[in-house]
Amino acid sequence: MSDDLRRELQKIQAPDELEGQRRAWPLVRAAFEAREPITWPRRSLRPVFAAAAGVAILAGALSPPGRALVGSVHDAITSEKKKGRPALTSLPAPGVLLANSSQGPWLVRFDGSRRLLGPWWDASWSPQAKYAVVTRAHEVAAIDPQDKGRVRWSVARSGSVRGGRWSPDGFRVAYLNGRSLRVVVGDGTDDKSLRRAVGATPPAWRPTADHELAFSTVDGRIELVQSDSAKTLWRTVPGELPTRLVWSEDGQRLLVLGDRSLRALDSNGRRLWSIGLPIGPSGVAFVRRGHRFVMIRFSPATGRSDLVLLQAEKDPGEARFLYSAPGEFRSLAISPNGRWLLVGWENADQWLFLRLTAAKVQAVSNIAQEFGSFPAGVSWCCPASP
Amino acid sequence: MVGPGRQERAWIRGAQSGSASDLEALFREHWPRAHRAAFLVVHDAAAAEDIAQEAFLAAVRNLDRFDRKRPFGPWLHRIVVNRAIDWARARTLRRETAEAESADEFDTGDLGNPFSQGVAAGLAGLKPEHRAVIVMRYLLEYTPGEIAHLLDLPRGTVNSRLRRGLDRLEEILDRGRP
Repeated sequence: MSDDLRRELQKIQAPDELEGQRRAWPLVRAAFEAREPITWPRRSLRPVFAAAAGVAILAGALSPPGRALVGSVHDAITSEKKKGRPALTSLPAPGVLLANSSQGPWLVRFDGSRRLLGPWWDASWSPQAKYAVVTRAHEVAAIDPQDKGRVRWSVARSGSVRGGRWSPDGFRVAYLNGRSLRVVVGDGTDDKSLRRAVGATPPAWRPTADHELAFSTVDGRIELVQSDSAKTLWRTVPGELPTRLVWSEDGQRLLVLGDRSLRALDSNGRRLWSIGLPIGPSGVAFVRRGHRFVMIRFSPATGRSDLVLLQAEKDPGEARFLYSAPGEFRSLAISPNGRWLLVGWENADQWLFLRLTAAKVQAVSNIAQEFGSFPAGVSWCCPASP
Repeated sequence: MVGPGRQERAWIRGAQSGSASDLEALFREHWPRAHRAAFLVVHDAAAAEDIAQEAFLAAVRNLDRFDRKRPFGPWLHRIVVNRAIDWARARTLRRETAEAESADEFDTGDLGNPFSQGVAAGLAGLKPEHRAVIVMRYLLEYTPGEIAHLLDLPRGTVNSRLRRGLDRLEEILDRGRP
């Protein structure tokens, strides 16, 4: 048995072993290159990290693994939590935020002032942030955030309604109604069913295109449809059911984020690559003007979240390690000028504003208190004019 | 555990002084076994890749403190196997048993050898702790004493896990034979 077992185990290869090696090396190299000098202002915290790691190891020796992991993450968060402003007094870059908390969507202006827009379940911006499309229970509506959230129009449906998204030209709004995908004109008229048997992923309008809408089907296919003619432009093979669909600014790349994988598609629906993800929170946000994007990568083994920069090209390589912290990052938003990244660090109850072009990070604390609960999603509007 | 070879010592020295090509040589040398070990413990391709990658990232972060007289492999394997055990236990706690853990549907990739598939699938039927010591003993080829040292376990525990794991594996493989 022993010799046979040794022989047979030596023959086994992990699935995708070489691909995995190819994907891992750029990240390892990036971490290696980031060793000295340390890019983000973590140098002064190094002794604290070491102490936290020591506490974690001790905890691991004394308690069951699950409790030890939770304990070590908690200790590390306490140690690594950045000293931040106690309240949001301004944004580091122009624009307005829409933050979805359990109380509803909040409008946050550049000067830090904020307003609850009403008891809606989710919200997303119209193209120039003049309106927001909001949903709750059986209703989709357009509201005016500048006018105390006044409802401009609303459409009621019998099934549950969610995932409202405004087209880039402002003339269409897509939303999910039960298992159907529907589209209504931007003034609330001509509400029509576009597809049945769709997945629960909010649809995503392709930027710079004429009413082309990506959505997922119940079997995990991604489909691009021209919403006016209802013509299917392309459809992928079945895959993991996605949680998010995110287009690049030029509409040439689509990221398909699932619980266990991230796929990058080109404008014709061809898969450029796919990478496996560990169980845990994840998120992606394209950097402005290009196909590079920031990804949240959670490690269940360490309980840490990393932010890494990858690219939606044929090779996801040239990855750059940006930031790491214990616990979970929940949301990502890029500023309209493309220079800042907002990261929701839920365990520390902080929003981190990371400057992408320099080693700078600003933290704002007490986020849950400010918004009633920690916002699950944030969008930062609007893209700067070219 | 034998000490590192001259070549590996040179790679470690080079990497510590900033040579990316030496780090790459170390990475290429050690990735396959680290990745396979993680895979055989967690039985999840994505998680295995992540664990191996995390282990290398941890190694890179601690590279300056590494004693180059010691071999790199055990240092890395200790991180990999411990994380793989934690991951497998966490998955069990989360009740994520589902299809991926089913021996019948276990994806062994293109192995081409029915016995290898049987062994890999059989391992999936063991407890993570038992898989870990079997993988360390027969894939990574550590002695029970070395495994005990790397996993911070009493040697008797390693021996009993090996014995129970092998018995159970044999039972599973016997059941699958015609």
